[in-house]
Amino acid sequence: MTFRTALIGVAAAIGLAAPVSAAAQEVAVITPYLAQPGTQFYVDGFEARAEELGWTVNVIDTAGDVAAVISRMEDVATQGVDAIVINVDPAQIGAGLQTAADAGIPVVGMDAGSDPLVAANVTSNGYAMAAETAVYVANRIGGEGKVVMFTFDPFPPVQVRGVIADAVFGNFPDIEVIDRITPDVSDGGIADSRAQMEALLAANPEPGAVSAVWAAWDQPALGALQAIEAAGRADEGIVITGIDANPQAREAIAAGGNFEASVAQDFDGIGRTAADTVARLIKGETLVQRVIYVPTTLVTDASVNAP
Amino acid sequence: MSDWIRRFGGLIGMLAVIGFFAISLPDTFLTARNWLNISQQISMLTVVAATMTVVMVMGDFDLSVGSMASLSGVIAATLFVQDWSIPAALAAALAVGLVGGLFNGLVVSVIGILPFVATLATLTVFSGLAFVVSDGRTIFGRDIPAAFGDFARGGPEIARLGERALVLPNLTLVAVGVVLAVWVVLEQTSYGRRLYAIGGNREAARLAGVPVMTLRLSAFAFTGVGAAIAGLMYASRVASANPTQGDGLMLAAIAAVFLGMTLTRDGQPRVLATLAGVVVLGVLDNGLTQMRVDSYVREVLVGAIILVAVGVSALGRRGVFRRSPSR
Repeated sequence: MTFRTALIGVAAAIGLAAPVSAAAQEVAVITPYLAQPGTQFYVDGFEARAEELGWTVNVIDTAGDVAAVISRMEDVATQGVDAIVINVDPAQIGAGLQTAADAGIPVVGMDAGSDPLVAANVTSNGYAMAAETAVYVANRIGGEGKVVMFTFDPFPPVQVRGVIADAVFGNFPDIEVIDRITPDVSDGGIADSRAQMEALLAANPEPGAVSAVWAAWDQPALGALQAIEAAGRADEGIVITGIDANPQAREAIAAGGNFEASVAQDFDGIGRTAADTVARLIKGETLVQRVIYVPTTLVTDASVNAP
Repeated sequence: MSDWIRRFGGLIGMLAVIGFFAISLPDTFLTARNWLNISQQISMLTVVAATMTVVMVMGDFDLSVGSMASLSGVIAATLFVQDWSIPAALAAALAVGLVGGLFNGLVVSVIGILPFVATLATLTVFSGLAFVVSDGRTIFGRDIPAAFGDFARGGPEIARLGERALVLPNLTLVAVGVVLAVWVVLEQTSYGRRLYAIGGNREAARLAGVPVMTLRLSAFAFTGVGAAIAGLMYASRVASANPTQGDGLMLAAIAAVFLGMTLTRDGQPRVLATLAGVVVLGVLDNGLTQMRVDSYVREVLVGAIILVAVGVSALGRRGVFRRSPSR
């Protein structure tokens, strides 16, 4: 007993082990991607909300090792946590999800993907984000003109964005989609988008031949912007929109050029909502809606430059 | 005293680690379910470390095992996409492991490049090939046959605890099979004894008529095939494959062999001692996770424990040399 006390004392003294409390809820957050900025924001939001709720949170980063995610899920299931939060594709951790299900421990995903064994996945609504920017483009050009789309159908989360933009533009009889481009994304997507846009501008030389560029994410929008500026056609009033509002896109929007709008996901809100979802599950609630969307925000010149 | 520390220090340290967790986690650590979990979690590392022991017996080592594990998983998954049957795809991946291992053996023993340099180079080659084959992508979902992913989730049922079955994981059985095979090769055959002779004194072994070049070449086949097996086990466990997923196995495997060497009387690599080293690493991950130790601190601790174990063993050996009358 003294041996144990001594060891725990040593561990506690150098800050290794979290204080053990019997009453509070204990939640494990397991991710292989903590080094990525987005994930960091989810986890910060989750921890902030969990602290308000008085939970003990154990954040486990497996540094890219997906098999280790399964191992750590098994460990915390053995330990008997009240819930597990994941940020990895459920298709890759089926064994861990099964272990948690067998132990009766609910699993919540933060932008993870859907699976029968994931009680709920908290994420942004890709359909809604695409609708925001597509409608922005349609209204901005007064419901008529020629639009270029940049899409990427092989990746399901981006494919849904394209479907919605198709529907919005199709609903305006005077909007014509003159090209639907799938850029090569192996180098990040900017360079090839720029090349494709340059070719398209060369094929449509007269001013006003292109009214707008709708991109399913920010990189093609940035590539199109570079092409338009390089071709000396920045003053034709071509409207560009992206999605995700990454720092480079925010900078371009703030500069007040052709790149006018993008949509920001609320990473912190996804983390907080994931915590609230865990709270509902711990209370014993059954979730009917297994995909929970956190609202996104349209980012424009006005909002970027707001004080 | 120093002799005693050298002989039993490592063992006492390992038992202390297990005892510490048993006392700190009284309800969960020493349960059958937890140990079956641990056995499954360490199964891939066990296979790589056991086969790594074969080359470390000769004083060589193989840095390319991690990228070979990634490569074999990616090859099997890519062949699944092209509608190969599971046995055919697995056989192809194992064949690549065998060829890669023999190539390592060739450059180390026939051409005579230092293992560190040779296998560092092949590490890069195998890793690059994994990216070429997979195009840098993760292959998962419907592309992976359900039966392949189910293998790592299943196993023979050995007992029932209430509602839940206690399953002896298939991955554990594979690891046990590999350890047994390596044990037979190293401890029960003249092939194994010759490898130890090469490790003891390569020149003396050569003069005694041991075919050093052929043996070193062939021994690297074990690490190649072992890495390929581990890569397939990993791919099955995550039901997917990407070109970097096995990379972490290499350092952990070498660490496990070194930990094991602190247990043996003469400081030589022995496969059962390596297994004990792997178990310690697995137990540390499992126990520290359950004690909610921060994952980054956990890595620091694991490294520090390896240093202490190998350090104590080295100090013990120096003490023995000092007392030896011939020096």
